[in-house]
Amino acid sequence: MADLAHIRNFCVIAHVDHGKTTLSDRLLETTGTVPLREMRDQMLDSMELEREHGITIKARAVRMTWREHELNLIDTPGHVDFTYEVSRSLAACEGAVLLVDASQGIEAQTLANAYLAVEQGLEVIPVINKIDLPNIDLDVVREELRTTLGFRDQEILLVSGKTGAGVNELLDAIVERVPPPVGDVAAPLRALIFDSHYDAYKGVVAHVRVVDGSLGDHDRIRLFATEKESELLELGVFGPDPRPIARLETGETGYVATGLKAVADCRVGDTLTLASRPATAPLPGYRPAKPMVFAGFYPSNAQDYPLLKDAMEKLRLNDASLIYEPETSQALGFGFRAGFLGLLHLEIVQERLEREYDIDLIATSPSVEYRVITQKGAEVAIDNPALLPDPGTIVEIREPWMKVTVIVPTTFVGPVMELAQTKRASLADMSYVDPTRAMLKYDMPLSEVIVDFYDQLKSSSRGYASLDYEFAEYRPADLVRLDILVAGTLVDALSIITHRERAQQTGRVLVNKLRGLIPKQMFDVRIQAAIGGKVVASETVKAKRKDVLAKCYGGDITRKRKLLEKQKEGKKRMKMVGSVEIPQEAFLAVLRIGDDT
Amino acid sequence: MTRGIGLYVHIPFCASRCPYCDFATAPATTALRSRYLDALDREIAREGEILGRPRARTLFFGGGTPSLLEPAEIQMLGDALRRAFVLRPREVTLEANPATLDRARLEAWLALGLTRLSIGAQSFDPRGLRALGRTHQPEDSAAAVTVARDAALDVNLDLIFGWPGQTIAAWQRDLETAAALKPEHVSCYPLELRLDPDGSIPNWPGGGWPVLERWRRAAAAAQPDDAGIARMYRVAERVLGRAGYRHYEIANWAQHGKRSLHNLGYWRDRDWLGVGAGAHSHLAGARSANPADLRSYISRAESGSERVVDAESDPPSEAAMLALRLDSGLDLERYAARFGDTAATRVRSALREVEPAHLVQVKGHHARLTPRGRLLASEVFVRLLP
Repeated sequence: MADLAHIRNFCVIAHVDHGKTTLSDRLLETTGTVPLREMRDQMLDSMELEREHGITIKARAVRMTWREHELNLIDTPGHVDFTYEVSRSLAACEGAVLLVDASQGIEAQTLANAYLAVEQGLEVIPVINKIDLPNIDLDVVREELRTTLGFRDQEILLVSGKTGAGVNELLDAIVERVPPPVGDVAAPLRALIFDSHYDAYKGVVAHVRVVDGSLGDHDRIRLFATEKESELLELGVFGPDPRPIARLETGETGYVATGLKAVADCRVGDTLTLASRPATAPLPGYRPAKPMVFAGFYPSNAQDYPLLKDAMEKLRLNDASLIYEPETSQALGFGFRAGFLGLLHLEIVQERLEREYDIDLIATSPSVEYRVITQKGAEVAIDNPALLPDPGTIVEIREPWMKVTVIVPTTFVGPVMELAQTKRASLADMSYVDPTRAMLKYDMPLSEVIVDFYDQLKSSSRGYASLDYEFAEYRPADLVRLDILVAGTLVDALSIITHRERAQQTGRVLVNKLRGLIPKQMFDVRIQAAIGGKVVASETVKAKRKDVLAKCYGGDITRKRKLLEKQKEGKKRMKMVGSVEIPQEAFLAVLRIGDDT
Repeated sequence: MTRGIGLYVHIPFCASRCPYCDFATAPATTALRSRYLDALDREIAREGEILGRPRARTLFFGGGTPSLLEPAEIQMLGDALRRAFVLRPREVTLEANPATLDRARLEAWLALGLTRLSIGAQSFDPRGLRALGRTHQPEDSAAAVTVARDAALDVNLDLIFGWPGQTIAAWQRDLETAAALKPEHVSCYPLELRLDPDGSIPNWPGGGWPVLERWRRAAAAAQPDDAGIARMYRVAERVLGRAGYRHYEIANWAQHGKRSLHNLGYWRDRDWLGVGAGAHSHLAGARSANPADLRSYISRAESGSERVVDAESDPPSEAAMLALRLDSGLDLERYAARFGDTAATRVRSALREVEPAHLVQVKGHHARLTPRGRLLASEVFVRLLP
């Protein structure tokens, strides 16, 4: 246990692949927190999926000791979907190490997070990493740090997470430059929850920073936002493995096994206090998880619905940002409409359902939340295009717009601007982070960001562009619902909301795509795109003409039956809509419209 | 087994392999030939004993090219059959390749009671025969018909349509040429090119599956499309109908009273025993088969192993499919009496699904495929599966 003056809470802000994990491991090793022989590569990443995505989703705090000081390294998520989680991690710190890859320079998201740290009053230590790499130009990176964040050259440290060069100096700088925490030791407990996760044995584990007061391992705790109370099960710190302790004091960081059952009861940003002596007010800055992207999840086989339901419940235990409710689609049957922080979050959930729970899923194309002003003056939130009310009753539709920041080498500014134009984006600002790289700021509808924008941005910049975005505002837009009818039946899961000007073209592309995806059936199948009941595009899948096993193979019925069974298996993978069999891929066609508009 | 059984004898040997063929075949020159015929004799004896020397109602020699057997081999086969079964068949069919049947061989078959010759004409168009990899000439088929006529045999002509490059006009000429020879029976099969190797691949040294696969892919790419094949099927219905043939099964037409009794046994779900490599049997409701690969077949026959039972066989759905192949169709009342209400309900609901697309016609308790349904029979049958 240390007094306040000997505590330093800090985090590392870095872009994916800029070496945060390697450097963190090196800090653990240099401070003797983990003996060299126990070092595993990438000590701090724990989930298999995180490793594959190359990002760290769940923050954790690790306690280290350096020159009689207790150093708490608080991990931060590194993806744009988790901005709020990043802000809560930053709120638990007094300092931040801004880590920039010497060969890559500063990226859009890193910059956004660094600004966030500066805004929250953190002491930011600029560090150039990977100085062991050949052919790097430190001056360019220095200039970026000067231009974008106003650092002076002498503030900038040089390290190599790989070789360990400069790591001692970095640790010294953390002790010297990051201010110690301030807090009221005598006040009632107020601890900031900057992360929580579900543990199969310990229930919900909260990662906290004690701001005021202290917490003992026999205390009964209370949460402000959810008003839940519980006997805590265990108190501890990570070093990096969990180690129980008796007390967490003012300024310290550690974990609390809360005894709660669902992560949703213990939300990031909430304040933890004592049931016996509660604080009068929570810490500022809490807001409930705000999903931005929505999609329908349906089991491919209707009988798997209970499995999906069970898996979603289990996932929610561990992911407070995942919200969902049951939804019924005429086309797809029973499923769920789920809300996500962003596309990556959606992908992670989808992959976990398929991989960890072995469920064959149909995910409908993602949608944003629209605000619809009806003639009765009400404002209705719509996150499922199929539920958009009758156009006659709508006064106005509003859609979410984002502030989008792209940092890109100047040679790719042209292609990026062209791409932005196709996405209804308007350029708000353009500047240079250094002579070779430009920073473009756009206002852009979120619905355009989520359909393929990131991939297209990467391909129009040969992978060099980096992207950050945050919610700006809702703006009115001339939007319409484009419906798809198959053999005269509206397929609700294929409806999309799109800009009126582009609706007809999108309808044509979509109908054409579907014609290629829907196999020939017993009769002609008409595929139509319609806006408000008016057909704007139409194609026909001509009826199958021949499908027969004519030859009589000396009474070989077995082989015929096997071939038919194969055919039946193929049919099973399709969804019956009316009397038409629609393959799963058709429901994803909407996602790929961008390829040929 | 008072009604007797259908008896099928498989002779896998061929002078050359037709690249589209999926039957159990082997080169006529194979070193295994005599061992195969011995194994066949042994199997015939064993099965006759197990079944209590039943009567063979029909006898069918298929292949392969059974017409390639030597007179002595035919005689030995006949002796084995007579020892194991009561041979008073109403029909004895021999599959023959044109240009393989000579007087001596024919005499031997006639001694076995031959009544019907099924000639693998396939096409009368030299381009068609070439496209199908056939080695005989167009005029060989007519000559074979003459030989059959001289011996007072009924004749079936097998025709294949939808070969690469075939036009509607070419197909119509084939049909007219066939009809002019006045066979009692005509079978017309669309060229089906399966892309999965069958069990007889190991019987053929060299070449092997990759060669066939390449041929089939190329042929499939050059074949008329499904719509074209459907049109050809309609042409067959018209031309053969006009020439006095009645359609009675998806791919079969016959003059009055000349339907294939043996093949009707398959479709009416009767009992039959198939002996020889790759032969299938249906006895007392159970389906079983022999391996198509000669070595496996011989070693099984030598050790007296049972045939491989098709454990996944589903008699109710199979019976319904087989009956629907015939123009006489499916009697739903009799079907329900035989397989119970659950099976009958399933069949009825499958028929209801395809009725709006005019694939079946249901009148009272009688269901049959429409002409359109014959071409889309798999769409009907796939719905009959449990």
